[in-house]
Amino acid sequence: MRKLIAAAAMAAIALTGTASADEAADYPDRPVMMMVSYGAGGATDFQARIVTMTAGNEDALGMPIAILNKPGAGGRVGWNWFATQVDADGYTLAAYNVPHFIAQSIKGGVEYTTDSFEPIANWGADPAVFVVATDSPFNSMADVVAYAKENPGKLTFSGAGLFVGHHIAALQIEKAAGVKMAYIPTKGGGAAAMKAVIAGDVLGGVNNLSDAFRAREAGNIKILGVADLERSDFLPDVPTMKEQGLDVDNASVNFRGIMVPKGTPQGIIDKLAETVPVMFANARVKSKMEAGGSAIRIMNRDEVIEMWAARDKTLKELLAGL
Amino acid sequence: MEFLFYFGDVFTPVNFALLLVGTIGGLILGATPGLSPTMAVALLIPFTFKLEPAQGLILLGAAYTSTVAGGAVSAILLKIPGAPANIATTLDGHTMAQNGEGARALQLSFLASAIGGVFGVLLLIFLTPLLAQWALAFGPSHLFWLAILGVTVIGSLDSASVVKGLLSGCIGLWLATIGFDDIMGAQRFIFHPSLGGGINIIAALIGLFAIPQVITMFAKGRSGDGAEVIKVQKHSIRKAIAEIIRRPRALGIGTAIGSIIGLIPGVGGQIAGLVAYDQAKKFSPEYAKFGTGHSEGVIAAEAANNAMVGPSLVPLLTLSIPGSPTAAVLLGGLLIHGIFPGTDLFDNHPDVAWTFINSMLIGQILMCIFGLYVAGMAARIAQVPQSVMAAVVLGLAVFGSYSVQSSMGDVYVMASLGVMMYFLERFGFSAAPLVLGLILGPIAEANFIQGSMIASATDGLGPYFMTGTLNIVLIVLIAASVAYSAAMELRNRRTTSKEDLMI
Amino acid sequence: MSIRNLPRLQHIIASGLVAAVGLWVAWISYTQQPTEAFLFPRLISTVFVVLAFWTFAKALIGLTKVGAGLNAHTIGNLAPGLAVALIYIFWAARGLGFYTATTIAFFILLSLYDPAPHNALRSWLRRTIITAVFMAVMYGLFAKLLQVYTPREIFF
Repeated sequence: MRKLIAAAAMAAIALTGTASADEAADYPDRPVMMMVSYGAGGATDFQARIVTMTAGNEDALGMPIAILNKPGAGGRVGWNWFATQVDADGYTLAAYNVPHFIAQSIKGGVEYTTDSFEPIANWGADPAVFVVATDSPFNSMADVVAYAKENPGKLTFSGAGLFVGHHIAALQIEKAAGVKMAYIPTKGGGAAAMKAVIAGDVLGGVNNLSDAFRAREAGNIKILGVADLERSDFLPDVPTMKEQGLDVDNASVNFRGIMVPKGTPQGIIDKLAETVPVMFANARVKSKMEAGGSAIRIMNRDEVIEMWAARDKTLKELLAGL
Repeated sequence: MEFLFYFGDVFTPVNFALLLVGTIGGLILGATPGLSPTMAVALLIPFTFKLEPAQGLILLGAAYTSTVAGGAVSAILLKIPGAPANIATTLDGHTMAQNGEGARALQLSFLASAIGGVFGVLLLIFLTPLLAQWALAFGPSHLFWLAILGVTVIGSLDSASVVKGLLSGCIGLWLATIGFDDIMGAQRFIFHPSLGGGINIIAALIGLFAIPQVITMFAKGRSGDGAEVIKVQKHSIRKAIAEIIRRPRALGIGTAIGSIIGLIPGVGGQIAGLVAYDQAKKFSPEYAKFGTGHSEGVIAAEAANNAMVGPSLVPLLTLSIPGSPTAAVLLGGLLIHGIFPGTDLFDNHPDVAWTFINSMLIGQILMCIFGLYVAGMAARIAQVPQSVMAAVVLGLAVFGSYSVQSSMGDVYVMASLGVMMYFLERFGFSAAPLVLGLILGPIAEANFIQGSMIASATDGLGPYFMTGTLNIVLIVLIAASVAYSAAMELRNRRTTSKEDLMI
Repeated sequence: MSIRNLPRLQHIIASGLVAAVGLWVAWISYTQQPTEAFLFPRLISTVFVVLAFWTFAKALIGLTKVGAGLNAHTIGNLAPGLAVALIYIFWAARGLGFYTATTIAFFILLSLYDPAPHNALRSWLRRTIITAVFMAVMYGLFAKLLQVYTPREIFF
């Protein structure tokens, strides 16, 4: 996979030749647009607005980044648009959500794969957590698994759709515990899934750590487990799935970052890959992100390429039976 | 009574200035076609980065309330509803403006908005814990029945023929299924690449309402077959206030329905105006006057859509769940300052919470004063010659639909729907039921699918959808609504004269 | 065909077209996979087809009561404006750039439908001024205030 991307990059350099060098030197000479494939107000949109707010500074791009929302069908609408209709000139960026777009590309019916995009940098990681309402009898993942074993297929739990991080976590939990539960995808993202848990429409749910943290502060839910390799700094008291005996890794962690379409001149990719992580590391960005309960995880281009490839492999195995 | 304690904070010079900026700016943004309240609030978020939390929220709260009311301006004067909330306002409001009563329509709409809005915010202040329970009471099965209740309104809404009204509604329901299906991710009816993202509701609204009107103006020709200049009648504010007081039924129905339905997460804001309009019509002795520039229509619709503003924030402020897209954007505005809605907000930042709520209260009144002040002037737009108006509305429609998500595809969809609607209207179909179908389709479908998934995992479809008090109440309401429509249809048939048949 | 029959024939054609769309929707809904995703479209399209054929039948018998149809005069009046609007939206806005296309389309529409005489300099001047003012407002509102990114560079 990495070889393939490298080869494509070489080809891009060869094609654009020396012209790309000049292009990259001037880049960007006008404001840049960044597509977010979820609606205004969602977690991805909110974080995208924060991490790009300093783009106009001289030490970053020197030009502002405007957010463009293209929501629909769990992100498919936006990423399809980005893969097929955007000029690869570096003036249109997009936010990616891993594992969402990778899972969707494996499932099919969309016009993109990991090869359609070039990652620039990663800004955050939001693990999935298992939540139940405050008055729920479940107090640990063991209780959940025990109930699911007694009532196969009857434990309803919500999540933000099919083939998104929440669904991956749900599949991993079911597989690890060897039980069958009823995953209920909601329309309207994590907020709708959370509402279903609090209102008692479902018995439990998978949700974003950042949203769950907030809902717990408000006294509405209990958080039973984190689907990540380590505990979160925001929730030091909540054990991981692994600690509770469920073999669930970090495949469902929602990584968010910036990418450009394949075919973007290498000079521009390099320039972005160099400046964007610095932009993410800005102290103001960090304080605003943490204020909102979202963890920052900055990864550079090479690390993201590796992460995408690893995720692609894990998800292909996990989704093979579906 | 805690809120009174923080009233002073709204009136500090900086805060009050922000409130004024938010209100007036919100009215202008709301009146701009293509800018829904959600987008307007999202556009203002970056400005709040530099402000104190309370100040930022004053700006956002004022902008939210006044964009909803501002949408009525373009709905009345240009027949372009600013947001789904303003659709019902076009039905009578625009007809009034065409009759030269634009000033009256605008004054009534601002007064009704302010009264409904203040009532809604007072509910938010006094009954929040109770309202939060109510907002949560609606599960998938209830939301499904609620959407169906909305569908039963379709047949009687602004359509001379019930069958054609229902057929228009069906076309709308079908249009809503175009694009990726939200849960399974399957592609449905995507016969042109512009439809990949489905039909954007704002672009559709602009197309379905504005474009037929532009073509109708073209159809009148150059010499101006209908060139009689519209006399814009002056209308004193005192008379408007007197009229509002004389219409307590429409005002009451609008306010009540707006506050009750506005509360329901994900559904309320979009249909509150239409349902209130329909109910006001059903309860009015002047039933037949609706749609011909009747003031009750404007009052009910506008009272409802502003009454919804306060209650729609209840799930956000108490449970930290954004109940509407605009609430989601406001959530972002809070999070940026490290404030979590919920108990944290009221316990640890009461100054922020109450200043925000108070600013919406004062904002409603400022919005009303400012609106009344410009209403007479704005109504003059009706005097603009048809030729200029047609070109202006076309330009605004194109820019407005493009700006929703910077997409040419939305402009194509807008224009195609608009041209189609013009020809359909010539044959007795109408836009309002079509739009209602477009709005309700996704709500009904998503909740049906979700409900049936839960049902099949638990106690089965029948018990899940048919038992429980709320389900039964909603089903009874649906039956009553259908029976009422049928009775009205029969009564109309008997009274329809020969002349009507010739039209 | 007499003028009296024109609306009736038009109603038959119009409702026939709607019924044809309904049939197409039903055909797709009942043949496409996956079934779960097309459950709701099936339900809608069934009702759609029933209502559409009811309307079509009524039009055939001549019972249609609402809708005045179109006449030659109306079509003659609206055709040039509609043509300009469609060329503007579907081609010029992208081909010429948003603001250029809007300026041209606006001015042409104004000239086509403005009752003021076409041979007087004054009325041409008036039209030019109206166009300029409108474009200035649009530019200020959308490009400057709302920072909407137009498909191509601002004026081209």
